[in-house]
Amino acid sequence: MTTDDPTTIQVDEFLPHPPDKVWRALTEPELIARWLMPCADFRLEVGHRFTFEGRPVPQAGFGGTGHSEVLAFEPEKMLRIAWRAAPSDLSGLDSTVTFTLEPEGTGTRLFLEHAGFDLDDPYQAAARRLMGSGWPGAPKALAAAIESGS
Amino acid sequence: MDQGTLTDEVFAALGNPVRRQLLRLLLDGPRTVTDLASHFDMRRPSVSEHLRVLRDARLVSERRVGRERHYRLEAGPLLELQDWLHPYERFWRAHLKRLHETLEDM
Repeated sequence: MTTDDPTTIQVDEFLPHPPDKVWRALTEPELIARWLMPCADFRLEVGHRFTFEGRPVPQAGFGGTGHSEVLAFEPEKMLRIAWRAAPSDLSGLDSTVTFTLEPEGTGTRLFLEHAGFDLDDPYQAAARRLMGSGWPGAPKALAAAIESGS
Repeated sequence: MDQGTLTDEVFAALGNPVRRQLLRLLLDGPRTVTDLASHFDMRRPSVSEHLRVLRDARLVSERRVGRERHYRLEAGPLLELQDWLHPYERFWRAHLKRLHETLEDM
């Protein structure tokens, strides 16, 4: 799911586990390493800088090491971190990732917002701006074009 | 998919406002060169030249209908492009799947 704002990605997921447990998975280094990326130097403290060692995302010009910082948090409710590319990466990515937890039944709905993509960076979102404001509706129009084609 | 091909050919073709506008017009369905040219303040041969670039990048295809040439969008490269433009969405979806597994094991 994407919004009409091409600088932001929004994904949400229902997790059949209570918020306090999900919060631990988001904030304890050994648990973060299991589902996201190893980040041995993570500490839940605003202003604390840490690095992620991950898989490269070549399409996004991401070499694999994320330079992050805890920007804000509210226990069991919200965690916002900076998500920056390494200076040596092709991408000049300087974005933020916000995890928001909302209780839902016996589980948790996790909202993830990855914001701050720079539309002028060809490795971040060149493709997004190609269609300008017409792009969000394009997939539907594309499907129609395929249907009506040949 | 071949990232190199997509980047070099398709992106070069798309790096021009006239050609992007041509694609927008074609999103509504096939159009004739005459129809397409009517949307631009330039001579028809210039529009045809832009269409040629789009055709070379396989973003559009041309078909002759009588004396008119009809252009239509070729969805393939654009769908690849759509896939290309959301690498982080794929990234997060994959990792959220692993978050499920991590929570199960906790």
